[in-house]
Amino acid sequence: MGKILRVDLTSGKISEGSTYDYVPKFLGGRGLGAKICWDEVPPKIGAFDPENRIIFATGPLQGTLAPTSGRFMVLGKAPQTGPIESFCRSGVGGHFAPELKWAGYDAIIVQGKAPQPVYLWISDHKAEILDATRLWGLDTYQAQQMIWKLHGPKTRVMVIGRAGENKCRIACILTDTGDASGQGGFGGVMGSKNLKAIAVRGTGSVNVARPKALMEITHQVQKLFSRKSMKSDPYQPEEKDFKYNIWGGGYGRGSLSLLPGELLELCNSPSSGYSQTPDGCFACPVSCRSRVKGPDITPGVAFCAQSYMYLESMVYQPEKGYSKVTWQAAKLGDLFGINAYELMAIIPWLGDCFREKLITEEDTGLPLKEAGSWDFIYKLLNKIANREGIGDLLAEGGQRAAARLGGKAEKLSQMYYPRAGKFAGYREHWVYLGGFPTGYAVPQLALMWVLDNRDALVSHSYISALWGAAFTVGQNALTAVPEKIIPVLKPVMKAAYGSEEAAEFVRPDGKNLNWKWAAPVVKRYHEHSLMKDCYVLCDILFPYLFNANSPDHVGDVTLESRIFSAVTGVEMSPEESYRKGEMLCTLERALAVRDGRTRKDDILYDVYFEKEDAGGRKYKREDLEQAKSDYYRLMGWDVKTGAPTGPTLEKLGLKEVAEGLEKRGLPGGKS
Amino acid sequence: MPTEVGRRTVLKGITLGAFSLGSVVAIGDLLEVFTFPNGQKVALARGVILVDKFLCSGCRVCEMVCANFNSGGRNSPSLSRILLEKEYMRGDYQPKVCHQCADPPCLQACPVTALQVDRQRGTYARVIDERVCIGCQKCVEACERHFRPARPRFDVLKHRSVKCHLCFGEPQCVKYCPLGVLRVERSEKGLLVGYPVIQED
Repeated sequence: MGKILRVDLTSGKISEGSTYDYVPKFLGGRGLGAKICWDEVPPKIGAFDPENRIIFATGPLQGTLAPTSGRFMVLGKAPQTGPIESFCRSGVGGHFAPELKWAGYDAIIVQGKAPQPVYLWISDHKAEILDATRLWGLDTYQAQQMIWKLHGPKTRVMVIGRAGENKCRIACILTDTGDASGQGGFGGVMGSKNLKAIAVRGTGSVNVARPKALMEITHQVQKLFSRKSMKSDPYQPEEKDFKYNIWGGGYGRGSLSLLPGELLELCNSPSSGYSQTPDGCFACPVSCRSRVKGPDITPGVAFCAQSYMYLESMVYQPEKGYSKVTWQAAKLGDLFGINAYELMAIIPWLGDCFREKLITEEDTGLPLKEAGSWDFIYKLLNKIANREGIGDLLAEGGQRAAARLGGKAEKLSQMYYPRAGKFAGYREHWVYLGGFPTGYAVPQLALMWVLDNRDALVSHSYISALWGAAFTVGQNALTAVPEKIIPVLKPVMKAAYGSEEAAEFVRPDGKNLNWKWAAPVVKRYHEHSLMKDCYVLCDILFPYLFNANSPDHVGDVTLESRIFSAVTGVEMSPEESYRKGEMLCTLERALAVRDGRTRKDDILYDVYFEKEDAGGRKYKREDLEQAKSDYYRLMGWDVKTGAPTGPTLEKLGLKEVAEGLEKRGLPGGKS
Repeated sequence: MPTEVGRRTVLKGITLGAFSLGSVVAIGDLLEVFTFPNGQKVALARGVILVDKFLCSGCRVCEMVCANFNSGGRNSPSLSRILLEKEYMRGDYQPKVCHQCADPPCLQACPVTALQVDRQRGTYARVIDERVCIGCQKCVEACERHFRPARPRFDVLKHRSVKCHLCFGEPQCVKYCPLGVLRVERSEKGLLVGYPVIQED
């Protein structure tokens, strides 16, 4: 604890720095990474340059009883951001973070490039750079297993596959528990440094300042999120009608149980040899994933993109539903270390392009008529991982690939990648024109999409509240009508954002969108998100805005700061946490501005203003521009350029950032 | 009358224990006890934690709450009196608890009578008196002959061993397991569990 490990792969030098050079001001996690990148990664350094940093940052909570303290952040200049590479964050779950803390380190900064493949081996208060020549080229599972053989099965591992080795912009880093640093392309950054893996084994402790208080707040959190499971079904709560407070409460837990089909039937059949068992990240009150295994499938975790990567297979062979092919495709992606979330945009986009006759089977070398088959996905993933043929283009990420093809192909990609401008590159959640629910325009979402430096809705809290309200009125996330869910959302949004009117994103006349609360909601949303990514806590639970089980459905936004105070002994009121979140949000914006971002990059493609949603409403350009101006004003940024001003930066205690911007003659630096 | 007899027997037992390797305390006729072939008696534990591994998701909250509660806020699996063994790829997770053995190898092995049966709290759990423990780890070695990993843990910082004491009667791991994997089985007559009823787990 209290130490940051610095590894220079060019020189082979390992040193230790003090966490307290950055903390408590920058808190940990995302804030810590942002400050380090401000100090050390100027615009001229590219994501794949040896001088880029890749930062693995925990927060003050990791390695303790604190709920969801298994998570940590991977940070640095991201290859996936495009066309201009810039700072981005990637959250990872599982069990790696606590192990790093128990080994004595709060964060790892890796810079330089090793002369040949290496891996980092960290044990109690010690780190070594070891030869990885024999690991290079292995898939992520094989590499992990080798590392377990070398260092014992209690070693936690982060590893890249062939995609990372080949510097794919959409290469991810897998943890041994199946979690991933998916977005950002940090697997490619590791590959560019010849860093195959990081392995850690720690036996120390993290000393909690107020152990009893931590138990009390943990108990409070468990009352909201945890229930004893039924003996006969590990995914169902004994307490009938209790809904697990994740994703609005309508989806239960245990990912594979969500999608019916061949694989689920096999898992539910006792003598089949296939099984789905509960799985959870470190210190989680819910345990939302499952572990799946079977005689002829790759074992692994069922969760999110790692289950849903290839749902095309369910269209190709509908009678099989979620099949062994669906599963194996997702796992093949894991073995290569390719960002499944990007694939979930690239695959349908390829299908769209094929249907519009913009690409052919001949020039892509892919059996596009058989999209959804094993043959298709096997060829596609191999090509991407090895950067072969069309794979070399797709390895640039869907939005960059589409821009390269241009014309109609690029237009088709806009269905998945809403943000235009120079700092895009990320398939957004629940987009498909309108966002939540599919087909309905929500002003807050549009503003979130344009302002972020990656996919905004990775911070699930807002959308989970919308989903929760949908389930409450007996509808689902895809079909719920805004007018029906707004009454349910009123007390929820009042508690979360300060006013019942924040829930009325459609005006009572039903004809127009209400943009009045877009900026204030998004400002608070960013503050929540920044703090959550610094403590570090899990997006799926925190901030807790919607209670699926109570009559008024109101959440509790005080939980995170109370957990923080119990672990560190430092008082942090929710108000103080919002001020700190505001400061960190401005720091992140300064990083993007330094790389060249302006208000012109905070924009959606034309198609988002052209289409009407299912209620006959549209996003209007002038409304979005007004909301942006409102947001910049609230944040103390220059309204013309969207850049933090000198006075604001100084007021927030970021004088060096103000000076840095001013030196570059950047807008907002002076005034 | 029975109380008088009990008290005398207890004092005799403690005295005997002080002079022999491995202390055994005779409680008398009031409770069921486990009787060794040589006639020595150990009171059976009145509580034991049972595990339903089918429900376990491997989250390690049990380990964290144990260390947090029992080791003064030092959150570490190395200090946890419950050990979660995990085979990640197959999702095979097994919390391993102290079985509060009927014939406790740890109690037999302790050279200084630090290992006692907790009558005071009424659990009759096999507990380590931290004021007496010299940190020789013979309890760890003894347990390890039957149960791997050994349930007593060595606290490097304090240079003494620690083990599950059922949290004075309200095991925190049981309370805080988010999924209900753990439960406490209680019996006033004492539970015939652990070694030698089971030889390994």
